[in-house]
Amino acid sequence: MQFFKQRRKQTNKENVPAMEREHKQPEAVVLSADITQNIQTLQTIYENCCDVVFRSFRIGGEVNATILYIDGLVNVEQLNIAVLPSLMTKQAAEATTLASFLKESLPVSSLTTVQTVAECIEQLSSGSCVLLIDKQPEAVALSIAKWEKRSLEEPTGEGVIRGPREGFTESISTNLSLLRRKLKSPKLKTKAKTFGTYTQTTVVVTYIDGLASETLLEEVEVRLSRIDVDGIFETSYIEELIEDNPYSLFPQVINTERPDVVAANLLEGRVAILQDGTPFALIVPASFYSLLQSSEDYYQRHAISTMIRWLRYLFLLVSLLLPSLYVAVLTFHQEMVPTTLLLTMAASRELIPFPALVEALIMEIVFEALREAGVRLPKQAGAAVSIVGALVIGQAAVQAGIVSAPMIMVVALTGIASFTIPRYAAGIALRMLRFPMILLAGSLGLLGVMLGLLLILIHMATLRSFGVPYLSPMAPMQWEEMKDVLVRVPLWKQNKRPRLTGTKNRTRQAPNQKPDPLEGDDQLSKGGQS
Amino acid sequence: MKRAIICFVVSISCFLLSGCWDRTELNDLALVTGIGIDQKGKEIELTAQLVVPKKLGAGASMGGNNSGSSGGATIVRSGTGKTLADAIAHLQEKLPRRLFWGHVKVIVFGEKAAKAGIRAHMDFLSRNPQTRLRSNVLVSDKTAKSVLELLPPIEQSSAEVLRELSNSQILMNITLKDVLQMLSGETGAAALPMVTLLPIEKEKTPLETIAYIDRTAIFKGDRMIGSIGDKLTRGALWIRNEIEQANITVSLKGAEGKITSTIIRANTKLIPSYKNGRWKMTIDITSRDDVLLNATNLSLYNEKHIHQLEKALAQATIERVNATLKKVQKEMHADIFGFADVIHRKYPKQWNRIKNRWDDIFPEIEVKVKANVVVQRPGMNTTPQGIPEDEVKK
Repeated sequence: MQFFKQRRKQTNKENVPAMEREHKQPEAVVLSADITQNIQTLQTIYENCCDVVFRSFRIGGEVNATILYIDGLVNVEQLNIAVLPSLMTKQAAEATTLASFLKESLPVSSLTTVQTVAECIEQLSSGSCVLLIDKQPEAVALSIAKWEKRSLEEPTGEGVIRGPREGFTESISTNLSLLRRKLKSPKLKTKAKTFGTYTQTTVVVTYIDGLASETLLEEVEVRLSRIDVDGIFETSYIEELIEDNPYSLFPQVINTERPDVVAANLLEGRVAILQDGTPFALIVPASFYSLLQSSEDYYQRHAISTMIRWLRYLFLLVSLLLPSLYVAVLTFHQEMVPTTLLLTMAASRELIPFPALVEALIMEIVFEALREAGVRLPKQAGAAVSIVGALVIGQAAVQAGIVSAPMIMVVALTGIASFTIPRYAAGIALRMLRFPMILLAGSLGLLGVMLGLLLILIHMATLRSFGVPYLSPMAPMQWEEMKDVLVRVPLWKQNKRPRLTGTKNRTRQAPNQKPDPLEGDDQLSKGGQS
Repeated sequence: MKRAIICFVVSISCFLLSGCWDRTELNDLALVTGIGIDQKGKEIELTAQLVVPKKLGAGASMGGNNSGSSGGATIVRSGTGKTLADAIAHLQEKLPRRLFWGHVKVIVFGEKAAKAGIRAHMDFLSRNPQTRLRSNVLVSDKTAKSVLELLPPIEQSSAEVLRELSNSQILMNITLKDVLQMLSGETGAAALPMVTLLPIEKEKTPLETIAYIDRTAIFKGDRMIGSIGDKLTRGALWIRNEIEQANITVSLKGAEGKITSTIIRANTKLIPSYKNGRWKMTIDITSRDDVLLNATNLSLYNEKHIHQLEKALAQATIERVNATLKKVQKEMHADIFGFADVIHRKYPKQWNRIKNRWDDIFPEIEVKVKANVVVQRPGMNTTPQGIPEDEVKK
């Protein structure tokens, strides 16, 4: 908590006056009662915007009115069938007051009265129609937005075998609805903010009232309030602007496109940040171990999840260390390899022109290039790249005498290992760290590997994510939390929320829920059933 | 930012300037699998058995064409010098690759070298950080070179053959660490396995054979004074509590044919005692056996026969041990059994008085051998097989 205070002081000091937003000034103008003047103002603002439609007509054939909307953001069908006809009828003109008429007989669920030009623009941008009426110093925004959306799909980056298959989409309203469907309690709070001078992107901070600690919420608010950029297109923008150590390779925020992951984290007292226009939500605070957990850990049987976690921890080390250990052992510590294995390696390395260090670097870089090409390539070229890739990292490279067969094994194993880490961002951080490790191994041997490991460990120990130590609950050690780090204990044993985020309400569920066939007998006999 | 760049440059140059000084690529190493030490007049001849990775078949040439070629994966090179270190320097002159001793499996002494004393060599081998204390030490009945230059038909190198044979523990299995312990121990004696060449089969070249362990070389101090055959060696293994595998064949009174049994577990205790100025040693052997073969017509489901068998087995063991004692204790006067250590442990005060005269006292110790054999299982057959039921003596 002290940490928060310190940070805030700093931010106050560094607080730079907000960026001057020139184009906002005319928007502050209040709408006048003269419709022509209002149309003029808006037309100058929307000069050279071919997608903004101005449609003038008379309400009930008497009162001058203009309806404005942005083509493509509005449900034109509804406008034509429901809104315009009811406005053009005679009754409309005869109604006592226009406002009461609109409220009573316009078949639109959400009506907002707007006073300023700025509000008009905001409503137009978010897909409402703005109705300007002559002799009225205010306009009415009709919310009949509709635009093209992607349908719900299974998240491609975080597949599961068992578990919900829906993922977030680019639409924030869909995403919030997905979340609301998972957490039906009114305690789920969603606070909207707008970022980006030009993009005006909606960003929603969600948390569960009574579970998320106030200090955390306050800290999230403070960090978000410092953001002042021209545009936001992905939550990674926010991530980069709010994380604790901006130079670190390690992600200090969890990103996910799964509503179930967000919901589960909210229940542990964390805070999620959703943004319009991207399916990725941010969850803070994160610890290194939470990046190594997959949602499926909780959907599989607990013993299996435990074993899979151990496998992940093992392959985490493999992905970081295997090439460097191979290089170190082969160039400095030949006595450490079992004789037969060493002889096999010696035989396969006999005709290789490069030292082990160079060989390892070449192959690892080629692997990274292949991976990158695989993500970026157009679908039509996919087959070609995978065939060529198999040639480069494979038999052909060995036959050409450029790399040795064991090195191919090492590279392939490292590649596989790094993909066992469920969060891509964490996996790629370790994959990048492997290169300095290889260099250290090639220059200082195992000593260098140890040195590198220590440096990484020290760095990770200094990291914090929103005040939570990055290596917690290992460092600082909290035995109680090992139930969800070293192993994954059965659900009926996880009665307490995590200590670092769930401080406000520690109890997660009722105790003694271990299922037992004998347990229900009392109730049954009391109920008079036999 | 400037500071970060300076830090980066400094740390990088630290690695690049000082880093790789002791780096050796695997391709630049000559992997030694066996060392042979011979005495050539006044000089020492060191023979190194090297693996030639090119000939190993696996790896770069994936054709798989000559993977089946027998042997030929090793070569031997020798160097001579006044000391072992000298000889190594001389040997290195003849090799394009750096000698690497980290994978030495066996150290073979020629008989002449063993008789001339091995202490200096042991000092070098234990002082050198690369050689392993776990490598096996053996004595060859000819020269060490003649053992190492063999190209065995089954294993990759003759060094590997010797290591496997030692590990099977049918006879002595002594590592460099054991030798160093024996030489610096109280007993002043050591025993090393001794190898001889297996006669060459027909249509094979003279090198296509192996050396096998068939004797034990007895050392007094650091010099070899003689050797004992395989039977006596097994007696010594009984006393040293190192017996792992043994088949004992006996015949029983009142029955034709023999019975062979094998040891499951055996344990030997040395119990020293001191009375009236005389040292006594009791060797207490207990073993559990299984019957392997029954050529008699006795049914082993009769308890009487089992008792008879157990007694016969015990007697055979005692005889074996006594024969070893007679040769090694009475004739060679070499305490390879570790009597001195046992006495030192139990009678530390008396030991201080006698340790200088140990060589005189050891042959005079009265040794009593006791054996207790339990036959645990008569095997899968209830009756002797191959004879009619009514001829079986129940």
